[in-house]
Amino acid sequence: MQKVLIEAFEGMVGKQNCWSNIEDTMAYSYDAFPEEPKAPDIVVKPQNYEQISSIIKLCNENSIPLIVRGAGTNLSGGTLPVNGGCVMLMSGFNNILEINMDDLYAVVQAGVVTQKFADAVAKKGLLYPPDPASLKVSTLGGNVAENSGGLRALKYGVTSHYLMGVKFLDSEGNFIKGGGKPVKLVTGYNLPGLMLSSEGTLGVMVEFILKLVPPPQSRKSLLVIYSDLIKASQTVSDIISSKIVPATLEILDNFTIQTVEKFHHLGLPISAQAILLIEVDGHEAQVEDEYKKVADICKSFGGEVHIAKDDTERDSLWQARRDALSSLARLNPTLILEDATVPRSKVPAMMQAINDIAKKYNLLIGTFGHAGDGNLHPTILTDKRNVEEMKRVEKAIDEIFEITLKLEGTLSGEHGIGIAKAKYLESEVGKSTIAFMKRLKYGLDPNNILNPHKMSL
Amino acid sequence: MSDKKVDEIVKELKELEPLIIQCSKCGTCQSVCPIYDKDLIETSVARGKLALIEAIYEGRIEQAGRIFKHLDYCVMCTRCKQYCPSGVQTDEIFLRAKSILRKTKELPNWQKAVLKIIMQKPKLLAKTAPLMHIGLKFGSKQVKEDIFKPLFGEFSQRNVVSIKSRPFTSKYGGLNKAKEEKMRVIFYPGCAITYMYTKWGEAVVEVLKHYGVSVYVSQTNKCCGIPAATMGELDLYKQVVNENLEWFDSITDASYIVTACPTCQYGLDDMGAKITGKKAKVPMMDIVVFLKEVLNVNIKPQEEEKSTLHIPCHYEHSKDNILKEFMGSITKDFEPLENQNCCGFGGTFNAKYYKDSSKIPQSKTQEIKEKDFKKLYTPCPGCAMQLSDALIKANLDTKVAHPIEALYEMIKLDQAK
Repeated sequence: MQKVLIEAFEGMVGKQNCWSNIEDTMAYSYDAFPEEPKAPDIVVKPQNYEQISSIIKLCNENSIPLIVRGAGTNLSGGTLPVNGGCVMLMSGFNNILEINMDDLYAVVQAGVVTQKFADAVAKKGLLYPPDPASLKVSTLGGNVAENSGGLRALKYGVTSHYLMGVKFLDSEGNFIKGGGKPVKLVTGYNLPGLMLSSEGTLGVMVEFILKLVPPPQSRKSLLVIYSDLIKASQTVSDIISSKIVPATLEILDNFTIQTVEKFHHLGLPISAQAILLIEVDGHEAQVEDEYKKVADICKSFGGEVHIAKDDTERDSLWQARRDALSSLARLNPTLILEDATVPRSKVPAMMQAINDIAKKYNLLIGTFGHAGDGNLHPTILTDKRNVEEMKRVEKAIDEIFEITLKLEGTLSGEHGIGIAKAKYLESEVGKSTIAFMKRLKYGLDPNNILNPHKMSL
Repeated sequence: MSDKKVDEIVKELKELEPLIIQCSKCGTCQSVCPIYDKDLIETSVARGKLALIEAIYEGRIEQAGRIFKHLDYCVMCTRCKQYCPSGVQTDEIFLRAKSILRKTKELPNWQKAVLKIIMQKPKLLAKTAPLMHIGLKFGSKQVKEDIFKPLFGEFSQRNVVSIKSRPFTSKYGGLNKAKEEKMRVIFYPGCAITYMYTKWGEAVVEVLKHYGVSVYVSQTNKCCGIPAATMGELDLYKQVVNENLEWFDSITDASYIVTACPTCQYGLDDMGAKITGKKAKVPMMDIVVFLKEVLNVNIKPQEEEKSTLHIPCHYEHSKDNILKEFMGSITKDFEPLENQNCCGFGGTFNAKYYKDSSKIPQSKTQEIKEKDFKKLYTPCPGCAMQLSDALIKANLDTKVAHPIEALYEMIKLDQAK
């Protein structure tokens, strides 16, 4: 990058908030998606919205790619620089501006860490339901940009169900406002909807208005053990078709169960071919009624039902689920977590297909995920240094997505497209949809400076 | 630097690859890193530092020496390791990498001289203690009991615990025999207890004697080596760990080694074992854990002041509950701090980056103020120094103490009855 441009950035945010040496910029060459790291030319950490506006203008005028970064926990390469450019850090915008107890909403900045927000809301006796697995680290800005989900998504929905308003800056650095505080609001285009899942390609989001809900009064957690993976999957579709919506309905396959137990010793049944972790919540009477029905369905498919007797037991069950990814991560150096999502009735077929693909390509694949909403996380354990195996991994991923789309599913339930899945996008949405997205993107960002190269844009 | 030397450094860093590649770059370390919490940038956090080492041996950064400053800017609290989902041994990686990168830039001469005295000339260090004691007395003003604020130079920002005129080891060195002896142990005091928190050492020995345990104390304390390790002098670290281990093993009738500094225990028993491949013949244990697990002492709660507890980063965390129970058994009005983040001291980190280091405990002093705790217990001299300084800066008169001091006071009171 030219010296004069570096000086211009430094002039805007101060030398202490601007880094252009390779030993600093290289620390922004990655996120949680394994890809060959490429450093940006410059990294800036603005201190106020005016500085953000100036940075955008400078990038736009000089066609510098601008990659906005929160915590960098993406699993699809959404915050990776592809061809240099400027990484803008939003981590400093971490204020919770308001938690409104009368109207049940909160106003927050984009850099607020999800867990910190959820804790602050809980202290006020309310609930912010989206709970992505990365919530201890990931920021709300990233959650909106990727439309993150989480364990509670089955009943409570994903980030999109809670985004009421958004404040962002466009590619020229102008302030734009969409949505607001009323629950009903149909003024003009649905701009919050447009910004959801936009992966930083349409604007720089700085503030959100998020809906809050009362927490459930009561809940019950079940651990169901199966000797047959497919029967466990069939249970999932049967529960949903019985018109019961648990808060959470998670599945872990045998490989994942064994791995979690090996590292965390939670007392899981290691010989089980699958386990389901189910939680029903709501009014006490409703919980009582629903959990009995759910337990009966589980038993009808040969499931052995255990009910958590207290909060400690419940916590250890959810710990098992939370530890799934980390346990798998301890087995092999490179971990590729996929996000294939199918309609719930197709979960058994999808589980079978993943098993077959693992055998076909002789790969270690642990599968767990949000079975209740059809969002599975087949996790491939490999070593990026093993060139031959990486070729098989690539073929296996191609095949996983092929079957996902055949089952009328989608490439991503909650991790986004980024770089990782750009090549498959057309096969899901079609040529004309891509063309429409391109017209939209180039209309709003003619110089394509906002997170270029992502989603094949 | 010659090309050959550069190649050698890259080759040595590449040997760390099997450890580094375990990092899946999930970023969980951000949620527990005290420096990231303050700076909110990647070069501060473990994931960023690991990526930089990787970038050197993969050829994306050519001048290896340029990343040293980022590796050095670390409290070494090991929280990233404790909470890493993939089990990445960040502390070992950073210490080894710093030691390799040290070849690109030698330690400044004055730092070398200080290290040499601390590590290799413990007797000389002990002899200078009275001088330092006098120097501190005349060159500083007393802030509160045992805490002084130096008047000149770089240290004038800080509130420091005084250096005692007589090191702990010169009073207690040798075998301190219990009246009705049922067991013998070695007590390893470490530098801070030897020269500053001599009262803690006294409390440890006297309490152990009270429970029938005779205590060996070295005539001259030899540093655990952690300061050398954190400055990238791994060979020197290895040497002092070995010397300490030899001394422990030379005492054949002790059943345990007791410590009152979690960092010393980490340096000699945990990281020490990794780097030297050796362990002492008998188990090493924190004093509180020893009292509860080995001696099974029962205490009747007495203290009335509203008190709290900060658990040090290097404490053996599987024993956290023992420590909490112990505190609960000493004082009636007790509640551990909710904020159990790192205090931000980090020994050499505090010395090199005082301004950054002193910002880290601010959220902790805020909680102490809000909850009006009168006494703060912590079983680590480093944490005690840092938190004493922070509390004075926050205008709080909360007292800082080691749990063993409270027990010693109770025993003395009982005996006086």
